[in-house]
Amino acid sequence: MHQIILSIGFGIVTASILSMGAVGFTLQFGVTNLFNLAFGDVMTIAAFVAYVVHNDAGASIWLALAAGGAAGMLSSVLIARLIYLPFMQRGTSQFAMVMVTVAVSIVFNNVLQIFSGTGFYGYALLPQASVHILGMVFTPRELVIIALAVVCMAGLHLLFKYTRIGKAMRATSDDASLARTCGIPTNRVTNFAWLASGLLCGLAGVALAMDLGTFSATTGGSFLLVIVAAAVFGSVGEPYGAMVGALVIGVASELAAVISPDLKDVVAFGLLVVVLLVRPEGLRSGRVQIRGEVTR
Amino acid sequence: MSIALQSYITTLLVYLGVNTIACWALNLQFGVGGVMNFAFILFQSIGAYITAVLTLPQAQSGTYETYILGLHLPWPLPLVGATVAGGLLALLVGAFALRPARRDFQATVMLVVSIIAETLVVTQQGWFNGASGLYSIPQPFASALNLSPTAYSWFFAGLVLVVSLLVYLFVDRITGSPWGRRLRAMRDNPEAVESLGTKVSVESLKLYVIGGAIAALSGGLLVEFIGAWSPAAWTTGETFIYFVAVIVGGLANNFGAFFGAFLVLGVFLEVPQYLPNFSYTNTESAIQSALIGVLILVFLWWRPKGIVPERRRRLSKLAMSTASAAAAREAGTSAAAGSARDPLSAELVRNHRRVPRGVVRDAAADPDLAIAVRDVAREFGGVQAVDGVTFDVPRGQATGLIGPNGAGKSTALKLIAGALKPTRGQILVDGVDVAGWPASRIAQLGVIRTFQHTSEFAQLTVLENLVVAAPGQPGDSLGGALLGRRHSRARQHELLAEAWELLEQFDLTKHADTYAGELSGGQRRLVEIMRALMAKPSILLLDEPMAGVNPTLRLTIEEHLQRLRDGGLTMLMVEHELGAIERVCDSVVVMAQGRLLATGSMEELRSNEEVVSAYLVG
Amino acid sequence: MPTSSAESASKGHLLVTGLSAGYGGTPIIEDIDLEVRSGEVATIVGPNGAGKSTLVKALIGVIRPFTGRIELDGDNLAGLRADQICRRSVGYVPQVRDTFPRLSVKENLEMGGFTLSRNLCRQRVDEVLELYPKLAQMADRQGGHLSGGERKMLAVARALMTRPSLVVLDEPTAGLAPKVADELLSEQVTALAKRGVSVLMVEQRAREALSISDHAFVMASGRVVLRDRAATILARPDIGEVFLGRTAGLVN
Repeated sequence: MHQIILSIGFGIVTASILSMGAVGFTLQFGVTNLFNLAFGDVMTIAAFVAYVVHNDAGASIWLALAAGGAAGMLSSVLIARLIYLPFMQRGTSQFAMVMVTVAVSIVFNNVLQIFSGTGFYGYALLPQASVHILGMVFTPRELVIIALAVVCMAGLHLLFKYTRIGKAMRATSDDASLARTCGIPTNRVTNFAWLASGLLCGLAGVALAMDLGTFSATTGGSFLLVIVAAAVFGSVGEPYGAMVGALVIGVASELAAVISPDLKDVVAFGLLVVVLLVRPEGLRSGRVQIRGEVTR
Repeated sequence: MSIALQSYITTLLVYLGVNTIACWALNLQFGVGGVMNFAFILFQSIGAYITAVLTLPQAQSGTYETYILGLHLPWPLPLVGATVAGGLLALLVGAFALRPARRDFQATVMLVVSIIAETLVVTQQGWFNGASGLYSIPQPFASALNLSPTAYSWFFAGLVLVVSLLVYLFVDRITGSPWGRRLRAMRDNPEAVESLGTKVSVESLKLYVIGGAIAALSGGLLVEFIGAWSPAAWTTGETFIYFVAVIVGGLANNFGAFFGAFLVLGVFLEVPQYLPNFSYTNTESAIQSALIGVLILVFLWWRPKGIVPERRRRLSKLAMSTASAAAAREAGTSAAAGSARDPLSAELVRNHRRVPRGVVRDAAADPDLAIAVRDVAREFGGVQAVDGVTFDVPRGQATGLIGPNGAGKSTALKLIAGALKPTRGQILVDGVDVAGWPASRIAQLGVIRTFQHTSEFAQLTVLENLVVAAPGQPGDSLGGALLGRRHSRARQHELLAEAWELLEQFDLTKHADTYAGELSGGQRRLVEIMRALMAKPSILLLDEPMAGVNPTLRLTIEEHLQRLRDGGLTMLMVEHELGAIERVCDSVVVMAQGRLLATGSMEELRSNEEVVSAYLVG
Repeated sequence: MPTSSAESASKGHLLVTGLSAGYGGTPIIEDIDLEVRSGEVATIVGPNGAGKSTLVKALIGVIRPFTGRIELDGDNLAGLRADQICRRSVGYVPQVRDTFPRLSVKENLEMGGFTLSRNLCRQRVDEVLELYPKLAQMADRQGGHLSGGERKMLAVARALMTRPSLVVLDEPTAGLAPKVADELLSEQVTALAKRGVSVLMVEQRAREALSISDHAFVMASGRVVLRDRAATILARPDIGEVFLGRTAGLVN
C-alpha cells in the first residue's frame, strides 16, 4: 500500500512533465494539423540550452528553465516558418508532412550530437531534503515542476477561456474557414499557436532533464512516444483531453513500475491501444456532430 | 584488392541486398496497398530472432545467454521458419491493427505494438536473451566451406543476391498482376474498391502478411551475416528510416524501392556506421546523419514522388490494337448476321456474376422487381434521415429518385448499396434481403454504385480505372497473381479491348493513359460511370451523376444513360437536374424529409400539388 | 440594433456586374448582374446546381471571381480575401457549418467581433444579446450543443457584431424543421431589414423567402434567368417549373 502511494507521487511528477509536452503537441496538431515528430528534439534542444545557461554560465536553474522555454519557442517558430509552412503551402500530403517532421527530427538530433557527443549530461544540482505529503515523497524541485505544470495548465485554460487570441486559436482549430470569414487572421493565430506550444515544449524538455537526472541528445526523442500516447489517448487536437491523458498515463505507468520497472511503457502504450480499438476518436472526442450535415 | 576494401564492398552488398528486400516488403504494403505499417521493423526483427534461435544450439544452462528453441536446424530451414513466423505475427497484429477504418489509427496501433514488443523482448530475458541480444550465431555453410573470412563474405553476398532475385520475382509478380492493380486502387480509394465487390480489410490483411513474411526473411539474412542481433538494432526510428527510403526512392515502384534502399540505407546510413576501418569519429557520423536529414528534406522538396516515381502503365496502344483486332474478328463473324456490336447494349451489361456462396435466391420473388425497399429507416444521432420508406425498382427500367435538399435520397441510395446500414426495414435485391450486408457482398450480387463525390482511383490511369472494376479476372487474387502474367494475359487483353470500346463510346480515348486524378470533374464522372459498367452491373445505382458537370458533358452523360436504359439495364438514379430525370427515367420516386412523397412519371408529378410545394418549401 | 436611420439610408447598396466565378478555371456562374438597394431584402432562388452557392462564395471572398465587379456603396470588393471583405461592412451567415461547435454562444459572438477593438466588441456582445434574449439565456452553452434553429440565430447574431450594412445568408433554412425555418425567415430576416441592413439571401424555400423579399433573382445553369419584384415572381403560375426542370418559359 505504501509503495502504491509512493508510486502515485512519482506518477504525478511524470504526469506534470507529460502534460506540458502532450498539451504542446496536441496544440500544434489542433491548430496546424501537423503531427510534429520533431517535437521531442526541440525538447532536447531546450534541455541543452538550459544546461549551458545553468552549468556553463552559472545562472540559477530556474532562469535556465526560462531560457529553455524561450529556446523551445524560438526553435518551434523557426521550424514552422522555414520548413513546415513552405511544404504545406505546396500542398504536401499529410503523410509526407510526417516524413518532413521525421527528417527535421533526424537533423536536430544529429546536430545536437555533433556538439554533445553521445555522452550523458546532468544539471549541477545540489541534493535536497525530500518532503513528505500524504505519504508521497517529493524533492522541492519536483514540487516546483508540479507547480509549473499546474501553472501552465491553468495559464492555458485562462488563455483559451478569457483572451481574444486564445479564443481565436480555438475557433481556428474548430473551423479555420469559418474563422477566416469572421475576419480572424488565421496566419497570425497559427504563429501564436507555435509560440505557445514551443514554450510548453521547452519547459517540458528542461523539466524532463531535471527529473531524469541525466540526459543525452536522444532523451527528448525517446520520450516523445509517451507524449504522443498521452495526446492520442485524449484525442489529438484536444488540450483538455491531453491533460487527462497525461495524468492517466503518467500515474498508470508509475503504478505498473511497482510490479516491474520495465512495464512502464508497456502499460502506457497498452492503455493507448485499448482506447484506440474501443473508441477510435480518442477518449475525449469533443467534436459535436452538426445536425445539418447528417440529414442529407 | 586489399582485404579491407573487399570487406567494405561485400558488407555494402549484403546490406544493400537485405535492405532492398525489406524496402520491397514495405513498398508492397505502403506504396502499393496504402497500409501504413509503423510496426515494420518488428517484422524484420522477429525474422532475425527466429533465424537466430533456429540456428543456435540449445541454450547452455549456467551461461548468461538464455533463449527459447535452440533447434540447431540446417540452412535454409531457419530462414523458412523466420519467414513463416513473420507472416504469422503479421496475421496476429494485422487482425486487430487493421480493424479501425482510418489509416492513421491503424498506423498508431502498429507503432504502439512495435514499442510494446520491443519492451517485452528486453524484459523477457528468457525469450531472446533480453537487452544483450543474441550473438555468436553460426553463419550458414561456414564450417563446411572452410573459406577465408573475405572469401566467405563474397559467398554470402552471392547468397543474398540469389535470395534478392527470388524475392524480386515474387513481388514483381504481385505488383504486375491484376491483383496488384486492385491493391493500388485500394490505396487510392478503399471505399470505391469495396463498392466494386472487394473486401478491403481481407485484402489488406493478406498484404500485411506477405509484407511481414518478406521483412522477416530480410531480418533472417541479416542476422546470418552479422551473427548477432539485439533490441538496439530495431528501434522505432528504424521503421521511419525504411519509410524515408521507399519515399525517397519512389513509391509503388520496385526499382524506386531499390534506389531508396541504396541511397538512404546503403550510402547515407550504413556506410559510416559499419565500416570501422575508415575510423569515423562520432562527430563525423553525426554530421553525416544530419546531412541525411537535410537530403531527405531536399528530396521531399524537389522530388516529392521519389527518384523513380510510380510507373505510369501506358496501356492505350495495347488496348487499341486488341480492340481493333477484336472488332475485325467480330466483323468477320457478324457480317453474316449483319449487326455491329454496341458495347453499351444489353449484351455487354448482362449479368456475368456468380451468386455469392450461401445466398439462396427466393424462387417465389417477383422476377420483374430488381429492388424492393420495404419500410427502410436510418437515423443519425436522433435525426431520421430516412424514415420508413417503401418503393420498388422495376427490372429493366430506369427509376429516378428525387426530392429537395435533405430529403434523404443519397442516404437511401447508400442504404441499398450497403455503404450504410439501415436501422430497420428490408432491402430485397432479386428477392434476397440484403439489409445490413457489407457493401462488397451487395456489389457481388451485381448492385454497383457511383459516388456523389467522384471516387476515381487517382493514381491509376483511366484505362486501369476501368479494367480494375471487372469482376472475376484471372490473376486478381494472391494465388492468381503468383501464377504470372501468362495466366492472366488473355483475359486482360479482352478487358482492355472492352475498356477501349467504352472509351471510344464516351470519347475519352485521348485520356486513356492519363491519371484519373488529373482529369476535370466532369471527365471523372464519366470515368466513374464507365468503371461501374465494366463491373457488369445487374443494377446500377447513380448518385447525382451530373453534379458539377458542365452542360455539354451533362448531355453526353444523359445520352449514355438513355442508351443503357434502352439496352435494358436496371438503374436507380438520384439527380437534382430534373430535366435529365424526365428524359432518362421511366418512373420517379419523390422523397421529402426522409419520407416517400409520391411516385409516378415526371409529368404526373408536375401536376401533383404536394410535390410542387415540397420543392418550393424545401 | 440601434442604428441611426440617416446613416443606414445611404448604406448597404450592393451592385454586382458581370461576375463570373468557378473552380480551377472552369466557370460555374457567368455574367451575373445583381443589385440590392439599401435596406432591401433580395433573394436568389433556383434549382440545385444553378450556381447559387458559388455566387455567395465569390461575394464573400472565399473564392476569387474570374471577372466582374462587386461594389458595395461604390467600394469594389472583387478580389479581396474573406477576412478583408468582413472588414468592409459585409456580414455572412454560412449554410451548414455556421457556428464554432466548441466555443460558447458568447465566444461565438466575440469571434464575430474579432475585427473590433476589445471594448467595442464587449459592448456589442451585450447589445446583440439584448437583441436576442433567447441567446442571452444560453450564453454559456457550446455552439455544437444548440439546436439547428438556435445555431442559425447565433450565426445571424454573430454576423451583426460588426454592424454590417449588408448581410449575406447562404440557404439559412437548410436542415431546419419547417416551423423553425418559417420563423427564421418571417422574424429574423425581416428584422434585419427593419434595422436598415440590406439582405442578400440564397434560399431553397422559395415561396416563404419570396414572400418576405423585395426583389428576387431566379438562377439556372449558372446564370440569372429572371429578375423582378419578389411579389411578381411569386405570382407567376409557372414559377414551380424552374424547380421541376423547365426553365425554357422563364428566360426573358
